[in-house]
Amino acid sequence: MHPDLDSILNEAENRYLKPEELGILTRYVTSLPARLQTYRTLRDSEITLMQSVADQLVAQMPGEAVENLERSIKNALLVLRHCAMGMLLNDETLVKSRLQGWLSQTIQVFNSQAIDSTLYRLLEETLACALSPQQMELLRPMLKVAQATLLPPEAPLTAAALNW
Amino acid sequence: MISVADLLVNNRIPGNYFATDAYVRGDLEMGLLENRQGDRLLAIPETLIQGIYAGLDKETGQASRLVLFNCGRWWGKNFYTRFSEELTDYYGNSLSDLPMVDFLQSLQQCWITHGWGKLDLDQTHQHHGFLVVKIWNSPFARLAPKTNQPVCYLEAGILAAFFSQISGRELHCVQTTCESMGADCNRFILGLPKRLEPAETMVTNLDHDAILKHLCG
Repeated sequence: MHPDLDSILNEAENRYLKPEELGILTRYVTSLPARLQTYRTLRDSEITLMQSVADQLVAQMPGEAVENLERSIKNALLVLRHCAMGMLLNDETLVKSRLQGWLSQTIQVFNSQAIDSTLYRLLEETLACALSPQQMELLRPMLKVAQATLLPPEAPLTAAALNW
Repeated sequence: MISVADLLVNNRIPGNYFATDAYVRGDLEMGLLENRQGDRLLAIPETLIQGIYAGLDKETGQASRLVLFNCGRWWGKNFYTRFSEELTDYYGNSLSDLPMVDFLQSLQQCWITHGWGKLDLDQTHQHHGFLVVKIWNSPFARLAPKTNQPVCYLEAGILAAFFSQISGRELHCVQTTCESMGADCNRFILGLPKRLEPAETMVTNLDHDAILKHLCG
């Protein structure tokens, strides 16, 4: 559950909720039908969406070994499932906790940053086409967390970074 | 052409089995801690660990190191069995068929989730027949009485038994640096008992790198 909602529920014994706290709850409850619908869409079109991403990835990285591409696609399937669950519960920490120290290490070991960067770009583009803007708005924060966890932005190439 | 449907076996994508929030489950009514398979987990208070160290020292003196090491071996052997069974069930593959990266990540996450600290393997000296294990934030080091030599005999025993089971060869383990002595982490060298034997006496007067140099030289 989203940490904000979690902390609100713990206040029951102390006091009634303030209007702004009820607002947080209302926003979540109001968004729940859309979250459920987005989740169903992702669940039902998982294979179609990822197949489209896989085909584009193969076309864009023709020199890459199929084994490496398959590993990254399989990991992306796992990432999307966690993102879908995180979106449903509105809980970014769930996405982070399940991926940190897991896939990030796989990416490092197999040195697949280049494949994964392309893959997550294609995934986001494909999802943007398949989902409505409102649905994408619900999912995007989770995708961002996943990308930031798995592919931290490289340090800018500055003189200081190069020890010059 | 890559078929995504073929990548999914039974529609599953096994991930982080030992993820803390998924692995540890509490039953408040029964006052029990369980893992995700429903097996019991035991929470050990710090005072008990301190008490074990103090009690063993009083009862057995110098021999407490050997007692802890042997307890660790027993623990490590059982730990390997559970670890292997759980991962085999979860991945649907035997431990030996698991990719090295998945095995290592599982072991690291398992160590963290059980509260034993952060573990990493250094395979630089593998071609000489030695494996170095590094552990940070070990409760067994933090709660041990301070002495002038490494104190994690329990963990050394666990690692010796665990990696003996994996490799199918009897391995020994010697700790060369210890957080209880101000080191950045606990370093353990694993290898065949005969080859590792000289390290036992070097621990008191040589540092980790010098010991490895002697062993590999």
